[in-house]
Amino acid sequence: MGDLLSGQLVVATLVLGVIYGLVALGLNLIYGTMRLLNVAHGEILMLGGYLSYWSFTLIGIGPLYSMFVGMALAGALGALVYHFLCRRVLSASKLVEQIEANSLLLLFGVSIILQNVVALSFTATARAYPYLDQIIPIGNFQVTANRLVVLVIGLAVCVACILFFRMSMTGLAIRALIQRPDAAALVGIDVERVRLISFSLGFGIAGLAGGLISMLEQISPFMGFPFTIAAFVVIILGGLGNLYGGLAGAFLLAVIEVYGVALTSASMRSILLYGVFIGILVWRPHGLFGVRGAAR
Amino acid sequence: MFKRIVTTLAGLAALLTATAVGAADPVKIGFSHSKTGIFAAAATSQLQSYELWREQLNALGGLNVAGTRRKIEFVHYDDQSNSGKAVQIYEKLITDDKVDLLLAPWGTSLHFAIVGVIERYKFPVVGNTAASVQLRDLKAGNIWFLTSLFPDRQSVELAKLLKKQGVTSAALITNLLPYTQENKKFVVPALKKAGIKLLVNEDYPPNVKDMTALLNKVKNAKPDAVLAYTYPGDAVLYVKGAREVGLNAATQVVLLGPQYDFFAKIFGPARNGLLTMGHWTPLRKDWPTAQKFFDDFKARWKTNTDYLDGPLAYMSVQILQQAVAKAGLDKNKLRQVISSATFKSINGPVRFEGVENIALPTMISQIQNGQQHIVWPADQATSKIIAKPAWK
Repeated sequence: MGDLLSGQLVVATLVLGVIYGLVALGLNLIYGTMRLLNVAHGEILMLGGYLSYWSFTLIGIGPLYSMFVGMALAGALGALVYHFLCRRVLSASKLVEQIEANSLLLLFGVSIILQNVVALSFTATARAYPYLDQIIPIGNFQVTANRLVVLVIGLAVCVACILFFRMSMTGLAIRALIQRPDAAALVGIDVERVRLISFSLGFGIAGLAGGLISMLEQISPFMGFPFTIAAFVVIILGGLGNLYGGLAGAFLLAVIEVYGVALTSASMRSILLYGVFIGILVWRPHGLFGVRGAAR
Repeated sequence: MFKRIVTTLAGLAALLTATAVGAADPVKIGFSHSKTGIFAAAATSQLQSYELWREQLNALGGLNVAGTRRKIEFVHYDDQSNSGKAVQIYEKLITDDKVDLLLAPWGTSLHFAIVGVIERYKFPVVGNTAASVQLRDLKAGNIWFLTSLFPDRQSVELAKLLKKQGVTSAALITNLLPYTQENKKFVVPALKKAGIKLLVNEDYPPNVKDMTALLNKVKNAKPDAVLAYTYPGDAVLYVKGAREVGLNAATQVVLLGPQYDFFAKIFGPARNGLLTMGHWTPLRKDWPTAQKFFDDFKARWKTNTDYLDGPLAYMSVQILQQAVAKAGLDKNKLRQVISSATFKSINGPVRFEGVENIALPTMISQIQNGQQHIVWPADQATSKIIAKPAWK
């Protein structure tokens, strides 16, 4: 029982929660503002991981710097994808269900293309690099430095996003668009511009998350899909389109994953995870913080 | 005039015939490759070995087909790491592309999948990256396995090694994927027979993202040895987690992971002392072409080969090359030669009895000073076993 209170497990939970939170945040932002199901989200994360890997191995620039370049480049890629692909889906589809179905197919195609372009360019071989891998003792437990860095930066980005959504005009406009798309347009919000920003920001956060994750695990062209699945579980748990709910869902998932294993067995992980997932959806069909009829 | 035209035509015909005889058609060799899907990252070195071999032989004039040099042409398709797709591809390669020879796909499950097709068409294939007892026990007549890492024999040898190291207790954590599960099935009774008490025996799912809680349990059990039956991806999580929680058992076996180049790049000297599966190393002086393969692979692909799949894939084409030199492309003759001859390879001599390579004993390897050594059994070893130093 003492183990359950150990700092080791608390840090493991926080690191995992922050990773899930970051990955889910971008996905949720795009879904919330536009109802686009971005199944290529994991591939953007993968591109961010590759950028950090090559920056470190070719020119010696660490992921602490390159992740922000990755964020900017992923954001630019997001703007292009939105402008040339997703805008058409939004203008051609009248119903939310139609937007969801069309975007799912379209972005699935994007995900396959990105996987294969990277596999053809760099081969499918897994790649990794050592970065800040010294062990740091903290009281009666110890943590690898790169996990602490992921925790600190991940939390900082999450807090920055929350402040952005609460304090800045653009952030408020994004939230307005999530809550009442029609009313947002009526009060003078430039919907097209806000959508473009949301899409870019969603891609950008995924690119940054990829840089962070590349410090912790190996990267390959096909690493993205499990993250996309995890992100969908998180945002459905929290409530589709609810940004804060998504963050809560991410930490809930991490708690189940770490403490569920500690209390039962590692083989129970998926049973616990999806058991809780199904249970919550039965109890609250729109997720923990979701509201019937509207994504927030 | 008429006579001149006839003479010219006759000359042209003679020239064309001579050209056709001089430049024999290329040999078409087909296979499916897991270019995408869950096996893609692990399957790359297999394709790289195949390509290296093709380029090397084509530079020498081609494959010796019973005395005639013929250039090698590959026909390959992406099986998407999908057994069903692999079956379709091998059927197409045989019936539609009409390839002369076949190479193996990647991994046990795809080897298993194509057995039906190659048996139906009686098309011989030298397997490489597969080691399943279930597959071996099928006793198919047209596929052979090079590796000696079959879980039943590997488990017995590992238990012997642990006993010799004075291990009396162990913790076993196992990925829920087929190869690791098959190893678990055999190692549990082998440990029991060797008198080694199993203190922890837990499975974990392939999509695990954090092992902290599991490794805390292992650490608290204080086993003499840890057997981490991993796949390469979760092997990284294991080592990172074991370092972090301070799991410092003197004997740690990481089944799949330490053999790969990316693993070496992440952990460098930290992986020293890890025991792992493997029967190949460039350090064996009595396998003179082993170091050459290692160097050629690095020169061609600018990366190190792994110590499992890359060498196994290269061995399989070496055997096919020698068999084709003797038997040509006739499937019956090829089958007969592969089943009965002794071949040279980068992993020493190869001789099949049934579907198994009986010339290669089951071995266990260990990472020492950044290199993979064979440490078990003693008569095959390139170095003595060392206790794993504490994580740094």
